[in-house]
Amino acid sequence: MSVKYIPVQWNRNKWLYDAVMLAGVIVFLWLFLFISPELLSHEFPLNPQIHNARAFGACAFVMLTVILCIGPLARIDRRFLPLLYNRRHFGVMTLFVAITHASYIMNWYFAFSSSDRYEALLFANTSYGQLAGFPFEFFGIFSLLCLAILATTSHDFWMKFLTPPVWKHIHSLIYFAYVSVVAHVTLGVLQDQQNHTFTVIFTGGALAVAGLHAYAAIYERRHGDRLGVDVDGWIDVCSVAEMRDGFAKIKILANGERVAVFRQAGTLSAISNACAHQNGPLGEGRVLDCLVTCPWHGFQYDVTNGRSPAPFTEMVPTYNIRLSGAVVQVHRDANPPGTFVEPVKIEAAA
Amino acid sequence: MSDKNTPFFVGYLAVPGGLRRFLMVASVLVIAIFAVSGALIGSTQDAPPASGFRFDYGRQTVTGVIELTPYPLLRVTEGNDLIKPGKTLMLTSAGKSGVDMRAMGLDGKLATVSGVILQRGTIDMMQLRGGGRGLKAAEGIAPVMETEQLGRWKVAGEICDGKCLNGAMRPGRGLAHKACANLCLLGDIPPVFVSTQPIDGSDFMVITGPDGTRLPTMSYDYVGQFITLEGDLERRGDILVLRMDDTTLELTDQ
Repeated sequence: MSVKYIPVQWNRNKWLYDAVMLAGVIVFLWLFLFISPELLSHEFPLNPQIHNARAFGACAFVMLTVILCIGPLARIDRRFLPLLYNRRHFGVMTLFVAITHASYIMNWYFAFSSSDRYEALLFANTSYGQLAGFPFEFFGIFSLLCLAILATTSHDFWMKFLTPPVWKHIHSLIYFAYVSVVAHVTLGVLQDQQNHTFTVIFTGGALAVAGLHAYAAIYERRHGDRLGVDVDGWIDVCSVAEMRDGFAKIKILANGERVAVFRQAGTLSAISNACAHQNGPLGEGRVLDCLVTCPWHGFQYDVTNGRSPAPFTEMVPTYNIRLSGAVVQVHRDANPPGTFVEPVKIEAAA
Repeated sequence: MSDKNTPFFVGYLAVPGGLRRFLMVASVLVIAIFAVSGALIGSTQDAPPASGFRFDYGRQTVTGVIELTPYPLLRVTEGNDLIKPGKTLMLTSAGKSGVDMRAMGLDGKLATVSGVILQRGTIDMMQLRGGGRGLKAAEGIAPVMETEQLGRWKVAGEICDGKCLNGAMRPGRGLAHKACANLCLLGDIPPVFVSTQPIDGSDFMVITGPDGTRLPTMSYDYVGQFITLEGDLERRGDILVLRMDDTTLELTDQ
């Protein structure tokens, strides 16, 4: 949360996060670049440019794999949420590693000819009609463009400018980028290898990403929120006895939106489940002194009016709420963001 | 989603005590994943084949007869300690450029060449120095060089560019290298066929189009891939030249 945009907002946890991720990248590159040549002991060593290109390319793949594993892990177990917190920084770091990989390729394989290297990238291999020998560089270019778009629009300014739903759709490009990387590697380096260690690591990484996403989807289907039944515009959420002080129950409306109903200090309030920042799940946050804190990035909202505390200006829609006997009900129509709704007192209604 | 008692993390506040241990383990695990994958991938790369730029031989200067196949070869007539008469050298310029323009007009004539050697197995290439210092007409009458016809062959293997294969790139063949090889071939560097089985004692041969023409455009789609093709083979000094029949080229599973 911020009242103005600055290039990077730091705090202790972000420093620690970036330090851990950077340490991983440095260890990877150090072992690959400086230790592995001694272990390889090739009589005719690889060209340094090729060795470097492989190191940065493999590192970018591992980084992307880790990034894409964090999301489903955080959905399966909330203890992984801190890994989600500063993931954008890691994504930007991945772009720089991927650009370094591409630079070595461009300045080695596509250099030294009378043609412009960027034009050569497009015309040197045009076997688009065949699978084996397909210009796998195309997939690498696409992935790099996706990463560049994601990195340049990663700042909150762009989220505000584009609106969170549009921003989230754009940032779903990460999945296309990953699939494209898989195609890039599968049609490229995997075709030529005799030693299959990389193949095993690569396949394991790609399967981990796919498997974790599938498992998280199944997990959410089994343990997730149910669609509410609409009677005259009012939807049953749950029995008031099921609600725990300081927490929310989440219900899906017929239009697909989620509403988070909070119990705090003997009252009930309902706001949109989607955080105005990145559409994070507010209903999975905690309420303290009427303020719910988003579990993704710590944005806060007053659950009675959906407004962030001053001087912040973020707002989410609120919902009308009532008790029907012991059943908590919300109205399907959202109020404009920031609309105050009188909290329902549980004792008075009981 | 998980236990409601999971400590709640807020990015700008201190990490809750119950999460610290978990995050410490997760951090070590993330770094370990990077370390293990970096070490494993880095230390299990295939060894490039024996080949390379041989700067250690120093600059070589020899004289011989230029033959355009249409890719320029030098049939050595006056050699030195390293390059003996009878040797045939493929010729290239620096970078991804051949010597077609420089050799034009010297076909069948004596020339002196100077440059460094690229070497792989039984096949050699010379990267010429720039301008007249690298390639110039020599005095004297060029002897008639013999070409031994070896008949029609069916061969299996891979088309590469002669420079990367000879060690300008290590590795310098295979699908991952296809675009680079095509760029070399478009730059007039002599193409080479790498055979899976030795043919008349050699695994490598210069490959041309039908009847000694340039490599057909269609063959660029198959560079770096395992193929079979038929063609007429001939020996020029210690090098083989395969004139491919492009109608017989087939992509093959290894």
